[in-house]
Amino acid sequence: MNSLIEVQEVSFKYPGALVLDKIEFTINQGEVFCLLGPNGCGKTTLLDCILGWLKPCAGQIMLNGNALTGMSARKIAKHMAYVPQIHEKTFPYLVRDIVLMGRASYMGTFKVPSAEDIKIAENALDTVGMLKLKERPYTQLSGGEGQLVMVARALAQNTPLIIMDEPTAHLDYKHELVILETIVELIKNSRLSVLMATHIPNHCYYFENQGISTRAALIKDHRIMALGKPSEVLTEQTMGELYNIKTHIIECSLDEGEQLKQVLPVRTLNN
Amino acid sequence: MSFTKRPGIIFILIAAPVIMILISLLIGRYPVDIETIIHILWCRITMQPCNAEDIYQTVVWDIRLPRAVLGAMVGGSLAISGAAFQGLFRNPLVSSGILGVSSGAGFGAALAIILFHQVAATYIFAFGFGILAVILSYLISRVYNATPTIMLVLGGVIVSSVFSALISLAKYLADPMDELPAIVFWLMGSLASARYSDIITAGIPMLIGTAGLILIRWRINVLSMGDREAHTLGINTGLNKGIVIACATLATAGAVCVSGIIGWVGLVIPHIGRMLVGNDNKILIPVSFLLGAVFLVIVDDIGRNLTGAEIPLGILTALVGGPFFVYLLKKTKGGGW
Repeated sequence: MNSLIEVQEVSFKYPGALVLDKIEFTINQGEVFCLLGPNGCGKTTLLDCILGWLKPCAGQIMLNGNALTGMSARKIAKHMAYVPQIHEKTFPYLVRDIVLMGRASYMGTFKVPSAEDIKIAENALDTVGMLKLKERPYTQLSGGEGQLVMVARALAQNTPLIIMDEPTAHLDYKHELVILETIVELIKNSRLSVLMATHIPNHCYYFENQGISTRAALIKDHRIMALGKPSEVLTEQTMGELYNIKTHIIECSLDEGEQLKQVLPVRTLNN
Repeated sequence: MSFTKRPGIIFILIAAPVIMILISLLIGRYPVDIETIIHILWCRITMQPCNAEDIYQTVVWDIRLPRAVLGAMVGGSLAISGAAFQGLFRNPLVSSGILGVSSGAGFGAALAIILFHQVAATYIFAFGFGILAVILSYLISRVYNATPTIMLVLGGVIVSSVFSALISLAKYLADPMDELPAIVFWLMGSLASARYSDIITAGIPMLIGTAGLILIRWRINVLSMGDREAHTLGINTGLNKGIVIACATLATAGAVCVSGIIGWVGLVIPHIGRMLVGNDNKILIPVSFLLGAVFLVIVDDIGRNLTGAEIPLGILTALVGGPFFVYLLKKTKGGGW
């Protein structure tokens, strides 16, 4: 297995506040790597460091064996694409124009998208099932459709890794599942890797239940508390430590023979 | 309403400024018939001796033509810079003056009027102070060693208000008999003094700025996604923002220094463009230039013909543009906002 990204003892500080404390992990090809942790534990900051948007104050991040520090935005963008948690929509661009922006790192500064770029963008839209909406202003889309367009933009970037920051936040019950299914399909069909921050432990179990290689890192107090396969690290005990809640983990097999494992929240703990 | 399905619009938009410039040769206090105009244009272009009366030649070739051409360039430059800044600042309410170029140029002109009483100095001071204002805004925004968009806007607001105060100070100190009216008229905008030398000197920054914006136009789409997303899409945000700001500033400063302050064009013309061709800057940026050019030539024709005295452009742009904008808003149902 090739490691796409190696995070080596990365620390990050805002003036007066330590946000990341010697974080260390690697991401391999074809796996989902989930970051779990309460609000403010540093997930988004960690993603920003990996994206090269923030510079760690200590430690370093390696992309395919090359140091991230000093790498151009263009080079980083050919390595990983980003699906933001909240995308602020300012101008009513057409869906196709949004996805075309994923091609920016392949185009010269003074170039406009070629026919080839348009084809790649439309293929990406097709992959997430949004091709029929390509001529629509993306401001008119629902939250779930909008998020699929963002995934398509990341696909158009044609990178081995996609980074998602809480991709299912604000989505309804069905569209949350649509996004998860899309991720599973991408990993199964294209050997992509996904690094995602999420608030929902069951996402990790969902990926594991689907039979794709999944690991979860539990971040508490700015450090990694536990790291490993969901069924190993997402236990009633770690959930209690991480979120201070009592949980119950259930396991059953469905009629179709599918194995289902889920975390159920019971109540908050006071101490 | 996709642009690609309406190729007719592109043809009309490209032809419109040229047609409008030719029409303005016909319009004016001194009647010149169309054959004479065609004859004069033909002789001048082919360098043949012209047998039209001198007065006609002066009116058409030395007064109306440079004025219309300069009007088209100024209108186009203001509109294209406005469109670029709206994308860059992710804010549809931004105009070409957001970083203080207009107030800086206004102060430079006022200073030159008080100190030198001569036109050439006014151009140079207006241009220089316009550029200086933007550089100051940019430096203010760099207090954090980066240029977050919001800090740029804040820098622009600060610099604009300082220069507005300095304009007031200049007016207060100016001689009320001749300097004060000159400052006030300059600030209201006019193309009345247009000559070919203006087209050449002010045209250089306008053309460089416009050409730069047209070249980098698609990148403005990406920049409008915000700094973080633009970075993850593979764009050097600092460098690309710098190029857009430099080009838009050159174009605006070039326009303002010959024409004075003409509001409205840099704010609303890009919106008219958005309604006609959509928001993709690949198309919107050049279309804004063409629309701005047509608009200012029309407004200037109205301004110099409506009454005996010329009406300053800054007044008319809003008076003419306002109702037209409302009409378009109604017709296109807001264009997707």
